[in-house]
Amino acid sequence: MDFLQLAVNALALGAAYALVALGFVLILNATAAVNFAQGDLVAAGGFLAVALAGILPVPGLLLLPLVAVLMAAVGLAVCAVAYWPLRDRPPVAVFISTIALGIILQNGLNGLFGAEPRAAPPLSGSGHLEIGGLVVARQSLAIMVVAALLIVGLRSLLWHTQLGRRLRATGQDREVAAALGIPVGAMVALTFALAAALAGAAGLLLANQFFITPTHGTDFIVKAYIAVVIGGWGRVGGALAGAMLVALFETVVAALADYAVATGLLYGALLAILVLRPQGLFGEAEGRRA
Amino acid sequence: MTAILHMRTWLVRDLNILLLAGAAVLVAWPFVADDAYALRLFTQAGIYALAALGYQFVFGHAGALSLAQGAFFGLGAYIAGILSVRFGAGFELTLPAAAIGAATLAALIALPVLRLRSHYFALATLGIGQVILLIAINWESVTGGANGIPNVPALSLFGGTVGRGWPMLVLVWSLVVAGALCARLLTGGLSGAALQLMREQPMAAEASGIDIGRIRFAALLLSALYGGAAGALQVHTVRVVSPEVLEFQVMVMLLAITVIGGRTSIAGAIVGAVLLIHLPEWFRPLERYYLMAYGAVLLAMVVAAPWGLMGAMRRARLHWLPEAPPPPPSAGPLPARHPPARLEIADLTRQFGGVRAVDGIDLAVAPGESVGVIGANGSGKTTLLNMIAGAETPDSGQILWAGGDIAGLPAYRIQRAGIARSFQMSKLVEEMSVLDNVAAAAWREFGGPDQGDARRAAMGLLDLLELAETAWRPCGALPPGLRRRVEIARALVGGPALLLLDEPAAGLTAGERERLAGTLAALNAAGTTLVVVDHDLGFLEKFAARLICLDQGRIIADGPPAVVRRDPGVVAAWLGQAPAKEAGHG
Amino acid sequence: MAEAMLAVRGMSVAYGSVRAVDGIDLDVRAGEVVALVGANGAGKSSLLKGLMGLGGRVGGTILLGGANLYGVSTQRRARRGIGYVPEGRRVFAGMTAEENLLAVSRENAAARAARTQEMYALFPQLGLRRTSPAWQLSGGEQQMLAVARALMVRPRLLLVDEPTLGLAPAAARAVIGALRDVAAGGAAVLLAEQNARAALAAADRALLIRLGRIEASGPASELATDERLLRAVMGG
Repeated sequence: MDFLQLAVNALALGAAYALVALGFVLILNATAAVNFAQGDLVAAGGFLAVALAGILPVPGLLLLPLVAVLMAAVGLAVCAVAYWPLRDRPPVAVFISTIALGIILQNGLNGLFGAEPRAAPPLSGSGHLEIGGLVVARQSLAIMVVAALLIVGLRSLLWHTQLGRRLRATGQDREVAAALGIPVGAMVALTFALAAALAGAAGLLLANQFFITPTHGTDFIVKAYIAVVIGGWGRVGGALAGAMLVALFETVVAALADYAVATGLLYGALLAILVLRPQGLFGEAEGRRA
Repeated sequence: MTAILHMRTWLVRDLNILLLAGAAVLVAWPFVADDAYALRLFTQAGIYALAALGYQFVFGHAGALSLAQGAFFGLGAYIAGILSVRFGAGFELTLPAAAIGAATLAALIALPVLRLRSHYFALATLGIGQVILLIAINWESVTGGANGIPNVPALSLFGGTVGRGWPMLVLVWSLVVAGALCARLLTGGLSGAALQLMREQPMAAEASGIDIGRIRFAALLLSALYGGAAGALQVHTVRVVSPEVLEFQVMVMLLAITVIGGRTSIAGAIVGAVLLIHLPEWFRPLERYYLMAYGAVLLAMVVAAPWGLMGAMRRARLHWLPEAPPPPPSAGPLPARHPPARLEIADLTRQFGGVRAVDGIDLAVAPGESVGVIGANGSGKTTLLNMIAGAETPDSGQILWAGGDIAGLPAYRIQRAGIARSFQMSKLVEEMSVLDNVAAAAWREFGGPDQGDARRAAMGLLDLLELAETAWRPCGALPPGLRRRVEIARALVGGPALLLLDEPAAGLTAGERERLAGTLAALNAAGTTLVVVDHDLGFLEKFAARLICLDQGRIIADGPPAVVRRDPGVVAAWLGQAPAKEAGHG
Repeated sequence: MAEAMLAVRGMSVAYGSVRAVDGIDLDVRAGEVVALVGANGAGKSSLLKGLMGLGGRVGGTILLGGANLYGVSTQRRARRGIGYVPEGRRVFAGMTAEENLLAVSRENAAARAARTQEMYALFPQLGLRRTSPAWQLSGGEQQMLAVARALMVRPRLLLVDEPTLGLAPAAARAVIGALRDVAAGGAAVLLAEQNARAALAAADRALLIRLGRIEASGPASELATDERLLRAVMGG
């Protein structure tokens, strides 16, 4: 396969992984808890897109906001059921509760849609474009553009709005944020909504090109988890870079050898990073939570 | 007569009567529902119970969220399957091979993985499971690839065949009983208390001479042994081995069994397995959605009853049928004290970021001395204590004790060398009794599930510290004055020659301080060397003949209390500088 | 004399079975700095946390501007006009100095920006570091940031916990001096400080606290020479 073609595929996959990893990091930073159901939320988003496409025959691009809003509501429910009652317990309690939530989501999807792979509608038509002699799938391009826009949008929300400053302050020190009048409960709920909306968007993007099955969630969460470890626990920029590295690694090695070798090597690399550089590949974290 | 009374107490306590009734129902059930399907379900429940019993070692007792138990289970299944299909090996070979194979994997991964904490540990163990799954799918010549290996022969044991139905069920449940007895031996009684101490107060456990790293290693190995054995049983029961046994679903099932049954309760693993294996039957009206019920039950348990069904029953019993505590055990002899030794610290330094918390301290403490250490917040007192006790590693310098340099040794080895400590923030296991909090620290000496000797030894120390009346009360219910005494009793378990106390009087009333000072004076008079950090000179003066004042990581005064109290440098350090003046430190 | 901005009667704070604060009465009036002086563990920090509703079981009455704070959440206490400077500064480490200030403001963008300028006027050093991430600031700058952050919402009552701990003398002076300015601006200031001389130099009145109770109280200048001061701080 042509190397440039490969790179485009890797970028598209990486962009979608980045959305998953971002949602994961948002919740991690706001609550210090691991949301193991983040991958299943991606699958749920993908199937939601499949279902909506059956009712509304419009391009995926128009379904995207609808999926995001509905998934945000699911995120609020996740917060209320699996996080809020456990907020004063050790973080491992949330880890287990979100594993449980993942089982519920997976089997709910399996019951509703069956186990066979499904595809969501393309974002804006299928087919290929020719750019400077390079033939690129329209969907790959659309995934990259949409994901990039979402990431830029999230970045400006977090860094350039009052709401974003409050979300980040809550993540940095919840007790002090509350003592300074920031409504931390609402901020945490909003974080879950945002994370789930991102997962929904990722699901819609992935479910066209790569299809989706109810058990796909475990795969997504593991990739996001790896991306976050590679990027440095809790670092937003690091998670993005980590997601790109994971996708690139997967695509290139899978093309040269096969998918199993790629995944095996990925885990090997992960273990090596955990043992040798637990702070991630990109330098020290900001000296807060480990 | 007493035997009958004893029997009655035993039946009522810990709801043993309910457990016996439950066991009777368990035994009776397959007779009642005597069809092939019911027997198969029950056999399956036994297999999962065995794997869950193993999982309890690492997740329940060591408190580490491992996600590799499914991998151990699956690896055991593959080993047993391959050996019996390709080499015609009998169960007498496949069982140990599966268990040891899984344990070997555990030993291999332990070195890198056990150093990791919480999320990292969970992720790394999950990754190992995924790698094994990939190998199983892709190493087709050995594993049969995605289709696995069909036609695994019926289980043969020393030449005879163990058929489906009753024979298999009896074999499986015999192994469950054997596994449960082993688990009881390893984690019951005193060991259980020590493991709980290690889980809830790891620093206190290390300071009681417990080598946490070694125990975590042993727990992971044991979990793999059990998991591998259960995998071997699985493959002989379903007669086929395929990548399904390695999928995350199996891991989730074991996690759910353990959380729902109870993380450290042997009965919990069995009850959880029987419940969860039968859950799909009971949720059959839900049809395709029945698996959601697993998730829902698991979620509900995590939120509402994290202690599991067995823990909930115990709580209910304590609430509705509170029992009179048994009479305290007779007091045993006090632990033999380590020979007195001289502590000599030379040029000890420790930096945090750019701040020298301890900055080149030289200090000698003679055997039998009683030294108070004072200084403002952040002057380096606790860091100094932590370095002597092994909770922190010095950047440079020496700590000589009993003829060797102990600087940088782990805390459990320093405790074993005769230096014990208490902590600034109380580190007791809240729901455990005073007696067992102290007895748990004697685990290394008395070992094993029988807690009689350790409790008698602990009782001797409770007598010494006038705590005998509180022996059976949970530590969480004690006022601060008594909690401090419990911590001192625990520190004395190893017979230390030197006792380091970090703000033992914090949070105490004036009367409690007075009493504690008297206790410390008596301990010192009996030969224990004391180094006590505190803010209250009035408290220290009652038992310390020598005071040391630290300021910004250095010793600024050293001498009798009356002299140190009037030292201008000490007064300035305590009152601080008025901001208008430039001289001195801020 | 004006009615107290903060009036506390019979206040206790218990953590489990430990009574960190045990029956304290105190008043802080608008325009006045009151210092709580005592050794580590005397209960100063617990008292401020109790006023803020941060942990511990709180007994007694707390009136802010005459209104009872019983059952009012931490966040609402902040919104009723209490500014809080926590022990150990606890700035939002990953955010810039300016973001730290902006995040807690409840005013519109223009008023927010104007208020940050007032803070930079109070602490010129902070203005120079406004775009630096807070974790890169020196201890003194972080302390100034923590004070400025609490002042962003124009509190009626400012609670300040151990502001000079670990600071160089010049930085300690700047922070303590700013507290005087804040009081001069009409707010009530309650300062918990282990550095007794620094606190007494800055305060109008002081309370000596030992073992959770008030050992002595009076004008700061009188207590500075009181023999009970050394006793309260050193014990004995």
